[in-house]
Amino acid sequence: MCGICGIVSASAPPDPALLRHMMGRLGHRGPDGNGWYRDRHVALGHTRLAIIDTSGGAQPLCNEDGMVWVTYNGEIFNYVELAEELRDLGHTFRTASDTEVVVHAWEEWGEECFSRFNGQWALALWDRRAERLVLSRDRLGVRPLFYARRPAGLLFASEVKALFADPSVERAFDPAGLDQTFTYWSPVAPRTVFCGIEQLEPGHYAVLDSDGFRKTAYWRITFPPRGREPVQDIEENTEALRERIIEAARLRFLRSDVPVGAYLSGGLDSAVTAAVISRYTSAPLHTFSLRFANSEFDEGLYQKKMSAVLGTQHQDIMVSPSDIAAVFPEVIRHAETPILRAAPAPLFLLSKLVRENGYKVVVTGEGADEVLAGYDLFREARVRLFWSRDPGSTKRTRAAELLYPWMARSPGRIPAFARSFFGRHLDPGDPALSHRPRWDSTSVIKSMLSADLQDRIGQAGGEDVVATMPPGSADWDPLSRGQWLEMTTLLAGYILAAQGDRMLMANSVEGRFPFLDADVVNFANTLPARHKLFGLEEKYLLKRAFSDLVPDDIIHRPKQPYRAPDAASFFAAGSPAWFDEVVSERAIAAAGVFEPSVVAGLVAKCRRTGGENMSNTDNMRILAVVSTQLTHDGFIAGGGQGADWPLAEPSVAVDLNTDDRSVP
Amino acid sequence: MDHDGVEQVLRDHAALSRGDTDPELDAVRAAILIEDIFGVTLSDADIDPAMLADASAVAALVTRLRGPA
Repeated sequence: MCGICGIVSASAPPDPALLRHMMGRLGHRGPDGNGWYRDRHVALGHTRLAIIDTSGGAQPLCNEDGMVWVTYNGEIFNYVELAEELRDLGHTFRTASDTEVVVHAWEEWGEECFSRFNGQWALALWDRRAERLVLSRDRLGVRPLFYARRPAGLLFASEVKALFADPSVERAFDPAGLDQTFTYWSPVAPRTVFCGIEQLEPGHYAVLDSDGFRKTAYWRITFPPRGREPVQDIEENTEALRERIIEAARLRFLRSDVPVGAYLSGGLDSAVTAAVISRYTSAPLHTFSLRFANSEFDEGLYQKKMSAVLGTQHQDIMVSPSDIAAVFPEVIRHAETPILRAAPAPLFLLSKLVRENGYKVVVTGEGADEVLAGYDLFREARVRLFWSRDPGSTKRTRAAELLYPWMARSPGRIPAFARSFFGRHLDPGDPALSHRPRWDSTSVIKSMLSADLQDRIGQAGGEDVVATMPPGSADWDPLSRGQWLEMTTLLAGYILAAQGDRMLMANSVEGRFPFLDADVVNFANTLPARHKLFGLEEKYLLKRAFSDLVPDDIIHRPKQPYRAPDAASFFAAGSPAWFDEVVSERAIAAAGVFEPSVVAGLVAKCRRTGGENMSNTDNMRILAVVSTQLTHDGFIAGGGQGADWPLAEPSVAVDLNTDDRSVP
Repeated sequence: MDHDGVEQVLRDHAALSRGDTDPELDAVRAAILIEDIFGVTLSDADIDPAMLADASAVAALVTRLRGPA
């Protein structure tokens, strides 16, 4: 895992000082080395976290004749098989890295190469002959890739802060990006919260050449029509899923030249990945977990149990609300966007623990909830559909009691309230039936926005993600439509980004996610919905597939989503030193996002309660305010992006600006 | 789905029972499953613990609600 950046300029040659500055902003993503390439039109930068072929594989890296260059962040887990195929086709390899597979695959297959990759990547290829830049991103958006288009070129980078290294890049919030964040929890690619800064959509590649800039999808999230799934037999599907997950976990554990650890959350998904590694590889396993002092969030009992069953070397970190508050500005500096939950902060502390223990790669259970239907939101949608079939039924109302069994203050304990809350906007024909309650409750944040921003959002005209659903989705099972929305919005925009890549890479740790393996996802998307969500039993097939490897009480415990204290982090033990200024009337007015008097009222309420027992809405509201203000402070007002990383001497330094014919 | 299929679904459903909920609520849970898998809509009278635990009764109910093929 690494940091990548670059400059394309059709006019003057790219500025090497700017490239160096951009690389310096990405040093945390690649502390093991760096390199750059420049010619008359393009500059490519790379900061390296060395994981495969640690002695070779420095980047940017080129093909045999130096006409194709790549700067690449990620892993192609099937690179060994692809390299073999490419060798058979006559390609000569100089390194044992997966990076070199990318350039030869591009030479051999062109744009078709991306659909052959099974991995997690963001990359830029520069084809000197065609004078063509190609950007590409993995299927589900594990690795980030941002860009800013300019009249005579483009800047791209793994993180926004590297784009802001160029003082000519505009620094302003994008009203439509904020609107999406305060609806879907994050902007939806290609949008970001910053004006003029876009992110490449997952599953896409982009081309910039003399014909201009254009994007193409090489992969899309899709499902078969309900009832026409290729295999209906549950035994056959159980076995097939098991085989794919085992292979995905093995590849992610073994294809590394440095030791790989694993997260254990206490839930099913990380238990499965750790158990598979333990069973199907011979290497000792080191596991890492998060603990919370508050029993509402803590899963320590299950973590210890799983660690003991597997015999792993286990370490955990106990996180208190004040720990979250202390690192929150740093968390936002890495997340580069407003967030509505404090949950990324403990993950920042966890990756720090991993790194301090000498590990720079971890396998986690991320993605299982989206791919195999684990979220409460999917269960909730099924209950809503159940209600919609006979709205007058008294028996059906009781279904609310089956929701949120893990929650201390479960809405299911007050069925009438739950029915009124989850029963709002209940239209069985709504393609987004699964997501309306979440989006409606999140949108309450927008009542706090300043009049000016509300006007600008109105003028920008909101983009409805539902309108972008594939035409055939009307024939999918309702669960599949919910999965599509979840993968398109929250997975790519928040789970893998603000809570995933950014919190891992902040401490130079690479995450690997077996449940997001291409074969696993493609297979899971063909499953009948009932094999994933059996009635209200979430991740049903996964539980069947690994019932022999995971203890019963972990398999059968109600799904407990990962959460952390939100408002309480900033108020329970007194507010951190930076807090008062960030939410001051002056700062709120300067940012122009929220109405100062409304924020003052919310902060006063939090202070009265110590942030404890706040409603879900108020927790989101205060997190939205604090994180938005920190984002403004760091990225728009300036000053909070941190100093450039001190870069060592580059391993690759190729400057063809003075002699375009030279071969490195 | 034939009788064996219904029986299998109910068996799988029963295997998931925590045994800690009341029978009426278990019937609601079963109704959600049956409606989803078989594409039918049950009446309140059908959402009955005894009825939904009986594979033959559920098979007959599903056949009736689906109507003639």
